[in-house]
Amino acid sequence: MAAAGIGTAAWATGACTRRADPDALSFWAMGYEGDYSPHLTTAFTRMTGIRVETQTLSWTEAHEKLLTAFAGNSLPDVFMLPAHWVGEFAMVGALARMPDATLLDDMLPGALNLTRAGGSGYAVPWVIGTQVQYYRRDLIEQAGYPEPPADWAEWRQMGLALKRRYPDAFTILLYLNWPEALLTFAAQLGAGLLRDRNTRGDFASPEFREALRFYKSLFDDGLAPRVLATQIQDPVGAFAQGYFAIYPEGPSLLLDMRRRAAEIPPDKWRTATMPTPHGPAAAPGACHTLVVAKTSRRPREAWSLVRHMTSVPSGLRFQRLIGDLPARASAWRDPQLANPTLKPFAEQIAHLSPTPALVEFEQIRAEVQLIAERVVRGLVDVNTATTEMNRRVDLMLAKRRALVEAGRIA
Amino acid sequence: MTIRAHAGARTAWVFVLPVLAAIVLMLILPTLLALALSVTDYSVYALADWSNLRFVGVDNFVQLFSTPLFWRALGNTAVFAILGVPMAIGASLGAALLLNSASVHWKPLWRVLLFAPYVTSVVATAVVWRFLLNTRFGLLNYALSVVGIAPVDWLGNPRLSIPAILLFVTWKVFGYNMVVFTAALSAVPQDLDEAARLDGAGRWTRFRHVTLPAIGPTVLLAAVMSVAGFLQIFTEPYVMTLGGPAQSTTTVLYFMFDQGLKWWNLGQAGAVAFVLFLLILALTFVQARMGRRYEWL
Repeated sequence: MAAAGIGTAAWATGACTRRADPDALSFWAMGYEGDYSPHLTTAFTRMTGIRVETQTLSWTEAHEKLLTAFAGNSLPDVFMLPAHWVGEFAMVGALARMPDATLLDDMLPGALNLTRAGGSGYAVPWVIGTQVQYYRRDLIEQAGYPEPPADWAEWRQMGLALKRRYPDAFTILLYLNWPEALLTFAAQLGAGLLRDRNTRGDFASPEFREALRFYKSLFDDGLAPRVLATQIQDPVGAFAQGYFAIYPEGPSLLLDMRRRAAEIPPDKWRTATMPTPHGPAAAPGACHTLVVAKTSRRPREAWSLVRHMTSVPSGLRFQRLIGDLPARASAWRDPQLANPTLKPFAEQIAHLSPTPALVEFEQIRAEVQLIAERVVRGLVDVNTATTEMNRRVDLMLAKRRALVEAGRIA
Repeated sequence: MTIRAHAGARTAWVFVLPVLAAIVLMLILPTLLALALSVTDYSVYALADWSNLRFVGVDNFVQLFSTPLFWRALGNTAVFAILGVPMAIGASLGAALLLNSASVHWKPLWRVLLFAPYVTSVVATAVVWRFLLNTRFGLLNYALSVVGIAPVDWLGNPRLSIPAILLFVTWKVFGYNMVVFTAALSAVPQDLDEAARLDGAGRWTRFRHVTLPAIGPTVLLAAVMSVAGFLQIFTEPYVMTLGGPAQSTTTVLYFMFDQGLKWWNLGQAGAVAFVLFLLILALTFVQARMGRRYEWL
């Protein structure tokens, strides 16, 4: 996602300069989805005569930008929203209710589940993703493995073998300011994160502590470099050079890999499901939805744009363009998605873990990762850290707790 | 006479009024609003429904002072200011003194080149500096390796991240005060300097007793502005490190941005803003007192 964020800067400024077509629908999306949406909206304009102005937001500041836009009454007609933000924006009253339930027909159950958690009746799942391992086939083979082993213990053995062979390189890239990996491990172990109707943290549970211990061990054993996303300017280039053998990422990396095929030819890398503690386990998924702002003056046209963007042909087109996986179930019967590179995604999407539905979850993710970073840097031990996570999350949820106890919110 | 004075006062008011109005509208009113905000629990819930808003008194301040990250942010800001102000002013003054020397040719060219970083975009230059400071491919580490120093993890080591950012900040801002100092130095009477030289004063003595007293007020002004600037440092850590590693570059303003604009806890952010306001006010007051004691103001 960081790569997407940086890559979009040029596009975003381009979108800013041509503005102010009062008759056009405004549309905001993040990352590559924003960059490539004009490829989908031109067909919509041709069919309906409605012009669409697309603007790309960068992922790093999308959340505050959207909230500020709502507070300042300047949301676009249609915008993209990660499923776990839908609840928040629905609560503040930013979203229009879906006028027609058929918009949700033929959706993957996983996509619907992720969206339902955030408040149903507002968002239409657009694309779905999950982090899988992109691995360097050649490097893994040199360590004596045809593919990364499926369970943690053996996976670590492979990592150690790689480390012995290339002491200056790493097995996996886990950014210390991104929570995805830790939350994946926690979901695999079945850690619940929150308790008491999502009003208190549950990070001191044995499952979460085990996940954090495993996460920390990857850095302690030298399998992952202690770096922030701001420190690796070109992760794909580093992957091509073999600085790390495994790059856990979502489907949007497929576009980068295609663009950089000269540096890292397709026969050098493959995809695999994330390693699990023992046997199949649930993994967190990401679902990006499309919503219509309550303030939109043309809700009918806005919803027809949503219907067009989330259609099966649009989904398949997007998959070809940027790798994103469609949320419509029948799109998956298309031979285009039978590609072996996409199989690990399909397997993980079939067993997605639920995301807690609460306004503060984005902040909780960030806060938990900040403490996890301190654990990795040896500034605090696992048990103290998880107690501290509970303390801070409880503090963060004080307002929510009061409102839930007063029966004002669910 | 009195009528004339009266008319003069009225004219003066007409001239002063727009500025006063701007100060009230853009400085005093927002400060009061921030204070009002800081005694409420304004959050995203209040954005949803005004009836969720509660008056909480000093709770935000109590909670703020019991938040470890706030103290860490305050500490980081202090480090930024304590290291940054002498670094920036020293670089400005050094460059200005060099430019002031009679033996330097093409002065306008040097002035433009040294001033150039100040007018560049922070975000764009931060990208360049992140490359310069890169642990593996960075030019800075390459230069160090030539003299046999092992690679330094500039932006990844919590102890080095502030100095690394300060290198960038100093490079970025020193041009401005350099120009100000150049102007002040050109007003230093040459005859005093020559008289001191004839009396046998060395380079340092002449600087200490002739140049410095003459540019004292300018140095004080630069110091006041720099302290206020460094206490409000935000953009540089935001674009260089996102406040990391291990929150070692999270400053007070960064903390306020996160609380207020990212998580929309505007009550808490209002409390931070007010504390920062009092802090800058107090420090400026102290600096002004010091300046008056040395008769620089």
